[in-house]
Amino acid sequence: MREAYIAGVAMTDIGWHERDPHDMGAQVCSEALRDAGLEASQVQGLLSTPHGYMSDTRKMITQRMADYLGMTCGLMLDIDSGGNSTSVAVHIACDRIRLGEIDSCLVFAAQREAPPKQIKNDIIGHFHLIKAANSLYDSYQAAYGVISPLPFYAMAIQRYMYLHGIPAEDIARVAVLLRDHALKHPQAAYKEPLSLEQVLSDKLISPPIHRFESSEMHDGAAAVVLVSRELVRDRGVRVAGMAEAHDPTSFVPYRGEISRFPCVGRAARTALDRAGYDIADIDVAEVYGAFAGMEPMMYEELGFFAPGEAPAAIREGRTTHGGDVLLNPSGGRLSLGHPAYATPLLEFTEVVRQLRGEAGERQRPGAAVGLIHTEQGFINGSIVAVLDREKE
Amino acid sequence: MDTKPYMQDRAAAEFFSRLERGEFQTTRCRACGETHYPPRVVCPHCLGEDLEWVDLPREGTLIAFTQQTDAIRCRMPDVLGMVELDGIGNLFTRIDAPFEELSIGMKVAFGTWTSLDGVLLHHFHPV
Repeated sequence: MREAYIAGVAMTDIGWHERDPHDMGAQVCSEALRDAGLEASQVQGLLSTPHGYMSDTRKMITQRMADYLGMTCGLMLDIDSGGNSTSVAVHIACDRIRLGEIDSCLVFAAQREAPPKQIKNDIIGHFHLIKAANSLYDSYQAAYGVISPLPFYAMAIQRYMYLHGIPAEDIARVAVLLRDHALKHPQAAYKEPLSLEQVLSDKLISPPIHRFESSEMHDGAAAVVLVSRELVRDRGVRVAGMAEAHDPTSFVPYRGEISRFPCVGRAARTALDRAGYDIADIDVAEVYGAFAGMEPMMYEELGFFAPGEAPAAIREGRTTHGGDVLLNPSGGRLSLGHPAYATPLLEFTEVVRQLRGEAGERQRPGAAVGLIHTEQGFINGSIVAVLDREKE
Repeated sequence: MDTKPYMQDRAAAEFFSRLERGEFQTTRCRACGETHYPPRVVCPHCLGEDLEWVDLPREGTLIAFTQQTDAIRCRMPDVLGMVELDGIGNLFTRIDAPFEELSIGMKVAFGTWTSLDGVLLHHFHPV
């Protein structure tokens, strides 16, 4: 079967842009195509997502972009599978390329939400957005006024800390480390260093989660160009294996341990098998942890560490520059920033830059195999991709 | 302003109306005997549609809890928790006690309260 490659990546700066999402989308689409050395007219597939969870979102976003950039496509799809959406898109693009139906596909996402402060200052004026956020949850969750998954994550993290005897400092340290990583990223949302004391002394927004241990919602856009081997100019990065796995849950599980997420391990093992690698072969990975406490849990579910052992590994420097594996060199969701629908493409962008040797100060020397993990809902479903550098 | 959860299927509407009558119940499949929580209109175990309403346990174990500061239906502080009901699974609910007085493993019992917008919901309090 044919192989699929990533030929181009692009992202905007992450932050609060107040820019029209269509403009941000057009910017990253053209940058990613230039990076791939392709003309817009050569693009045969176009995939995207809504502009946000609470936005008054437009429909048929891909059709509008195809018109705007002049693309004659054989595949077009607006995908809404929560946080996984653009990973699903990349997965579909790879499969269509492998099948030989198309030779190129552009995947993009542009996220723009109403800023949380604006909402808090005018709850009545934004009540339709709050209702939209509330409607993500089922009747038995929504009835309690839940408008974000924050309380569910708080309870999962509480149980994880309880079951493994993890102190608050070990969770706060993750936020500090990811901020250190982000300081090496010129496009990251946060530019100031963060100390352990700052994290621990700030308010508990939903205990045990401190304010700096929760990712904020940001604006931003990213794009990835997937191609068949023939269209790879140079610096091609291969999508060596990809897999998707879901658990029968919607937000907090009604059965079983609420701090375990079996779909993550299933997706990782299948993707690694398909790629022909072991977890120990991974040099660099971008992991979707929207909360500091979820990072060690995800590292463990992916198989980098045994249950309960990631906090010690993080403390010992094994997940940063010079360690066993470089995890979330971009700064992750907490410090690169989290425009949720664009987040998977930001993760792909970082790993591609690492494998091409273009990550500047954040570069892991000689990085050859990378992993991307994304999730949807309350990690009810996960997608894992394994990328490798084309051999010389 | 209508703030009621508007994604209510038939089973959810029935669950909350039974709650208003003081009944704390879920569905059980008459064909295969499986009890579900949350209640269903179709049995996920055998896909049967002949379901009956049965009592849920009114005591359980607190397995996790937190407190939200941006709730839209409750007075602050708003303590939320997961209660394990024996033989049923995990129930998401409000906990009627100060956060500081709670611990994992605590026995808790059923009660009801009315949210700010007038919806009768269940909550649990330490035994």
